[in-house]
Amino acid sequence: MTRGSSLVARLSSLVSRRAVSHKPRATNNERRATSFWSNVAAIAYKEASVIRHDKPLLITVFAQPIMMLMLFGLALSNKPANVPWLLLDQSQTAASRRLAAEIENTGYFLRPRAVGSYDAGVDQMKSGKAMAMVVIPSEFRRALERGQPQIQLLLDGADPLSAARVGSYIGRVARGFRLEALPSNMPDAPILQNAAFDLRQRFWFNPTLADRNFFLAAIAGMLLTNLCLSATSLGLVAERESGTYEQMLSLPTTPLQLLLGKLIPYVGVSYAVMLLATAAAAIFFGVWPKGSWLTLIIVTLPFVLASLSIGVLVSTLAQTSAQAVFVTVFFILPSFVLSGSMLPYQFMPHGIREIGAAFPLRWYQIATRGIIERGAGLADVAIPFLTLTALFVTILTLARLRMKPRLD
Amino acid sequence: MNWRRLRTLMLREARATFRSPFTVAVLISVPLAALLIFGFVLSTEVKDLALGVLDADHSSASRRLLSELVAQNTFVASRYDTREDLEHALVAGDISVALVIPPDFSRRSVNTDTGSPPQLQVLYDGGEAPLAGNAEGFLQALLTANVGELFPLPASASAAPRIDVVTRALFNPKLDGKPYMISGTFGFVLSFLTVLLTAVSIVNERITGTFEQLQVTPATGLEILLGKILPLGAIFTLDVVLMVLVAGFLLEVWPAGSAFFFVAVSSFYVLVSLALGVIISATSATAAEAVQKSVMFSVPLVQLSGFLFPIRNMPTLVQWIAEIFPATHYIRVSHAIYMRGDGPIALAPELGLLLLFGVMLMFFALSKIEARG
Repeated sequence: MTRGSSLVARLSSLVSRRAVSHKPRATNNERRATSFWSNVAAIAYKEASVIRHDKPLLITVFAQPIMMLMLFGLALSNKPANVPWLLLDQSQTAASRRLAAEIENTGYFLRPRAVGSYDAGVDQMKSGKAMAMVVIPSEFRRALERGQPQIQLLLDGADPLSAARVGSYIGRVARGFRLEALPSNMPDAPILQNAAFDLRQRFWFNPTLADRNFFLAAIAGMLLTNLCLSATSLGLVAERESGTYEQMLSLPTTPLQLLLGKLIPYVGVSYAVMLLATAAAAIFFGVWPKGSWLTLIIVTLPFVLASLSIGVLVSTLAQTSAQAVFVTVFFILPSFVLSGSMLPYQFMPHGIREIGAAFPLRWYQIATRGIIERGAGLADVAIPFLTLTALFVTILTLARLRMKPRLD
Repeated sequence: MNWRRLRTLMLREARATFRSPFTVAVLISVPLAALLIFGFVLSTEVKDLALGVLDADHSSASRRLLSELVAQNTFVASRYDTREDLEHALVAGDISVALVIPPDFSRRSVNTDTGSPPQLQVLYDGGEAPLAGNAEGFLQALLTANVGELFPLPASASAAPRIDVVTRALFNPKLDGKPYMISGTFGFVLSFLTVLLTAVSIVNERITGTFEQLQVTPATGLEILLGKILPLGAIFTLDVVLMVLVAGFLLEVWPAGSAFFFVAVSSFYVLVSLALGVIISATSATAAEAVQKSVMFSVPLVQLSGFLFPIRNMPTLVQWIAEIFPATHYIRVSHAIYMRGDGPIALAPELGLLLLFGVMLMFFALSKIEARG
């Protein structure tokens, strides 16, 4: 393994750097302070040169942002699209055809397929060929004039989230339907014309409710979770397996110095990934941060540190790389979902929501969504920032307690 | 192919798997944790959504409106005194929906013959796009169904027709998210855990040298492959049964179709997925590399296979890519059996594709093992 072969060179460079940094004589206190940080710097230097030669890691660092950007920017969406639907038009009037056309014109639906009978439609729904069936009864036109028109809507409950959306789209068309066609869809027009009041609504920050903006605002958090956790946990366990960890313990460094030194280079890599992903989302998909980059940079620090310390904690718990892998992977994937990065956490029931709050990614995505999408300032993201800091301190303390010098 | 040799290899693999307490723990805890977490994650209901209210009217009418809105636990209201505070709360993310009740709200709602109904303004936090979409539907439904009855309809509006939509959801009348997520979780757990487990186990064997030792024994490549994936396949089939039982007894979600058919299809899918794990490990030099490959493969798996995001919503090109994943077809089959109760005949095309993928992957895995020998 490459780690093993360059070990001697790395350690000798480490020792020589330490010797150089000790030359200036200073008072006792001062010397303790300088030597603390020079030890940290030496370990950090050693770790950085390991990263520089770790090809698989570097490939991940560059390939993953591109893949995630493509997926979230181009491919994924919760918003129903291309919805196949059936139309049972027993009325066959101009009004019923206009209703069908208005449903199709919402843009979420494909062209309707006409079915001859109710049972034929239900059969098609059962085989999963259609999401919805609209039944327009034969007396539709007359009922419309009398003021009590009714239509029936059958939804495929097998996909509940899409079904609920499709139901609300069709309901909206039905509520807004008039006997005579309106000239055009006026922006900001009242949408509940027939209700007791006139409701005017607007979607702020994201007027078209594009899921892309929602995902891209959290993409840096997902990438960093992945990077920080796998790099530290796998790296530390691999060092223990190859024996280099024990060699480092024999150096005159304290476990805390060792820990900090190992984490600092990854903070640098993390910032590079964060800036790269955010800039790419802005340049390629037009999702520019509405808030300041500085706020973004400040909030990222406790998150990166917390994620790195989770990796350290995992490495202290796992005995072999295989174990570290399992624990890491099965921490990363649920954290994407439970943190609310892929689905809003407000959808989740209590209990699950609270579990998700233990993941640093939860608080980071709250902060980045605020800064990138809504233009939140540092004061607005104070709670996520402080929570992340608290999480970092807690996890680091736990890791430090577990990280006893062990020489089996 | 020698049956005795194959049996020895299979026994060896089963023993090696059960000897490691960690592997056994992973095999039991990961599927159960995934079921419990994903089973509850998706819900179409909006609950306790933070609603900011600016009540400039301060009347009994506006208070009645608010109490109706918070009555069903969909919204938790907090009051703001100025428009500025309200808008700032929206930017800070303290509230997801903002409602502005204008000062002339009650005057207009009493005075119905003036022709202009009272106005309400609603601002949604579009940043949480999926949430805002659902919140909008809930708010509109609440306003039309419950609140509308509190206030007399203005003369002008009552003349206009209002289409009443009678909605019924097939297979899942309450639009419960649980069955959908649980049937998808099978696909996620089986695809991911199998690939990861085989990849790590083979790479570990190669590092300790036992894999090379196997290859110099008279055992053929096919025997080594089957000796690896058949016992693991049997173990994962037990996992499937365990998951079906836990989902049924604990979460009260049973397959609408035949449970036996579901387990049979799943156990075949496990073999397909294990073959993929063999390929990944055969092309990796270190455990870390195998892991990176598994993870790189798992990200699109979660996102493109229809587990969390419907494939229908994707652009056409991506839809084609999604069709290449065996997991996509398995998840489709498991949705169909769990939710719609489809049988083997209705699912024949999907099952045929799975079979095709399986045969192709097995051949590829076999060629990888033999090339190494």
